[in-house]
Amino acid sequence: MSSTGDTAIDSGHARTTADRLRLTLWILWATCLVLGIVGLAQRVVQGHLPAGYGSYVPWGLWVAIYFHGVGIAGGAFLLGAGAFVLGLEGFDRPASLRTVIVLAMAAILPAFTGVWLDLGRMERAPYIFMSPAFTSMMAFNAWMYGAFVIIAAACWVLSCRQRSGWLRPLLCLAILFSVLFPSQSGAFFGVIEAKGLWHSALLPMLFLTSAITAGAAVLLVIMALPGVTDESPERRAAAVSLLRRITLIGLIVYFVFEFAEFSITLWNPDVHAPAIELILWGPYWWVFWIVHLLLGGAVPLVLLLVRRQTAWTIAALLVAITFISARLNVLVPGQAVGEIQGLQEAFQHERLRYIYHATLMEYLVGLFLLAFGVAVFFVGQRISASVGRRTQHEG
Amino acid sequence: MAMDRREFVKAGALVGAGLAASAAVVVRDRVSSPARDPSGPRTVRHLTVLHSVPPRRDEDVLLRMQRDLARAMSRPAEQRKWVMIIDRRKCVGCHACTIGCVAENKLPPGVVYRPVVTEERGEFPNVHLSFIPRPCMQCEKPPCVPVCPVKATWRRPDGVTVIDYDRCIGCRYCLTACPYGARTSDFGLYYTDDAAAGADGKSVSGPHAPWEDMPSHEYGKNWNRASHGSPMGNARKCHFCLHRLEAGQLPMCVTTCIGRATYFGDAADPAALVTHLLAAHVVHTLLPHKGTRPRVFYIT
Repeated sequence: MSSTGDTAIDSGHARTTADRLRLTLWILWATCLVLGIVGLAQRVVQGHLPAGYGSYVPWGLWVAIYFHGVGIAGGAFLLGAGAFVLGLEGFDRPASLRTVIVLAMAAILPAFTGVWLDLGRMERAPYIFMSPAFTSMMAFNAWMYGAFVIIAAACWVLSCRQRSGWLRPLLCLAILFSVLFPSQSGAFFGVIEAKGLWHSALLPMLFLTSAITAGAAVLLVIMALPGVTDESPERRAAAVSLLRRITLIGLIVYFVFEFAEFSITLWNPDVHAPAIELILWGPYWWVFWIVHLLLGGAVPLVLLLVRRQTAWTIAALLVAITFISARLNVLVPGQAVGEIQGLQEAFQHERLRYIYHATLMEYLVGLFLLAFGVAVFFVGQRISASVGRRTQHEG
Repeated sequence: MAMDRREFVKAGALVGAGLAASAAVVVRDRVSSPARDPSGPRTVRHLTVLHSVPPRRDEDVLLRMQRDLARAMSRPAEQRKWVMIIDRRKCVGCHACTIGCVAENKLPPGVVYRPVVTEERGEFPNVHLSFIPRPCMQCEKPPCVPVCPVKATWRRPDGVTVIDYDRCIGCRYCLTACPYGARTSDFGLYYTDDAAAGADGKSVSGPHAPWEDMPSHEYGKNWNRASHGSPMGNARKCHFCLHRLEAGQLPMCVTTCIGRATYFGDAADPAALVTHLLAAHVVHTLLPHKGTRPRVFYIT
C-alpha cells in the first residue's frame, strides 16, 4: 500500500504527464494552423493555380476531406443523438448531447469550408440556396446539410433548458437527416452513370456504413479521453463500450460491402475493370493495402477485440484517420478512368490528364481544415460546459 | 428519459414533414420548367449572306451549308435541330479545327472544346490511323444538365446545351457527369504567364500578354478574363459557335476543316445537306450505350 506521500507524488506525476500531453497537443494544433494558413493564403492569392486537380480529374483531396467530414458528422450525430433519445447510459445527459452536437459541427463546418474553397466561383456559393436545382444531388445535399446544422443548433439551445417538449422531436428529425446525408454522399457519386466505379447502388450503403463507423470511432476517442467531457469515468466507460461494439460491427459490415463490390467486379478472370485495378495495383496501391486495409481495417479489428480501453482508443483513432483513404479510393480512381480512349493524348496539358497528385498547397489547406475543426470542437465544448454549469439542471 | 406520447407525435409530424418536403422538391424539379431561352419571332434572323451569289451545283459544301444556315436562321429557334456530321474517312488529323476553336473562343490553357483523338489499329507494318474529332455531343439527353446545382446549364430548343457563365459556381459536377469529357474548367491560366522578361528584368507586357485579355464573344456577350471575371472559374464547353450562327457564320471547326470533313446544319430542314448525309450514310455516335443520344454523328 502506498503512503499518502506516495499517492501525492503519483497524482503529481499524472498531472505533469497530462500537462505535457496538453502542451504537445497545443503545439501540434498551432503548427497545423500556421502551416494551414500558409496554404490558405496561397489559395486566396493564386486561386486554383497551385492545385493538382484538373478537368479530367476535377475533384481531389478537399472533396475527400469534405465527404469524410460530413460522414463523421452524420455518423457521430446519429449514434450520439439516437443514444440520447433512447436514454442509453453515457449519452442520456444533455451535456453529452451537446458534446455530440459540437462534434458534428466540428466535423461539418471544416467540410463545408473545404468544398467552398474547391469552387471555381466561391462568391456564388449562395446560389445553391437561392436558385437550387433539386435534380442535382449536390443541391439536395447542400440543403439537407443546411437544415441539419440549423436543427442541430436549435437542439443545442433546447438542451440547455429544463425539459423541452420539442427537443426529442427535433432530434428525431435531425437523426433522419444524419442518416440521409451520408447516404446521399454515396448517391452523389452513384447517380453519375459516366463513371463505372461510381454508378453502383451499393455506394450509398457503403458511405452510410463508413459514416457510422468513422462517427462511432471519433465519438469513442472523445468519450475515452479524460477531461474532454464532464462525464464520470464510469459513464464514459459505458459509452466507450457501446461505441466499441458499433465500431467493430461497422468495420466488419463495411469490409463485407467492399468485398462484395470488388469480388463481383473481378469475378470474371478476363474482366477489365480499370478503376478497381487502379485502386489495387496503381501508383497509390499502398493507400488501399496499407492505409485502408491494414491500418484502417485489420489492425483496428484486432485492437477492438482486445479487452483494454487503451487499445480501443488507438483502434478508433486509426479508423477515424484512415477512413479518409476509403473516400479517396472512391473519388480519385472513379475519375481517373476515361470513357474515350486517347482523349488525354489528343490535346495535352497538365490540367487535361487522368492523373491526380495532391499538391503541397492542398495538403496545407487540409491541415488548416483539421485545425479549424479542432478549434470549433474546443471552443464549442468550452461554451457547452459553461452553459452546463450555469443551468445545473442535470441529475 | 423516454419520449412521451406528445413528443412522439411531434417527432412523427416533423419527420413526415421533412420527408414530404424532400419528395416535393425532387418532384418539382422534374416537372418541366418554363423555357429560359427566347423563342418565336424574336429568334428569327434575316441573313443576307450569299444573297448575291447564285447557287451552283458544284459549289463548295461550305457555301451550301452557309445557305442552309441562313435558311435555318430564318425560322424560329424552336424549329431548328442543329446537328454536326464528321466524316472520319476525310479527317486527316491536322487539328486545324481544334486550334481554330481555341482562337475563335479565346480558350485559355487547359480548356479545349474540340480535341482530335487518334485511333491506331493493327501492328507494324499493317498499322492504320484514324481520327475522331470530339466536340460536345449536344446530347438530346444530356447527363451534364440535371447535375448542375444552380441551373446554370440547360438544353436550348435548337438542341445546343449551353452554360450561363454568370450563374455557374464552378463546382465541376457537370465535368464528371459527361461521359465524353467534353466539359473543361477554366482554372485561370494564361499562355504568357512567366513569359520572358526584357533586358531590364521587367516583363514587357505585365503579368501576361495584353492580347490574352481581349474578350471572347461566346453566347453573344463580351467575356473579360482580365478582372478574373467569368468564364474564369467556370465550366466551359463547345456550343456550336452560337455567336457565329447569329451572324450567319458556320462554326469555326466547320470553316477551318481543310478536308471538308465536318458538316453542320439543321436536320429539321429536308433540303439541308446534313439531312441528305444522314439519309445517305450509315452513321454512328460515340458511346451509344450511355443513352445520351448525341447530335454529333460520324461517318466511317
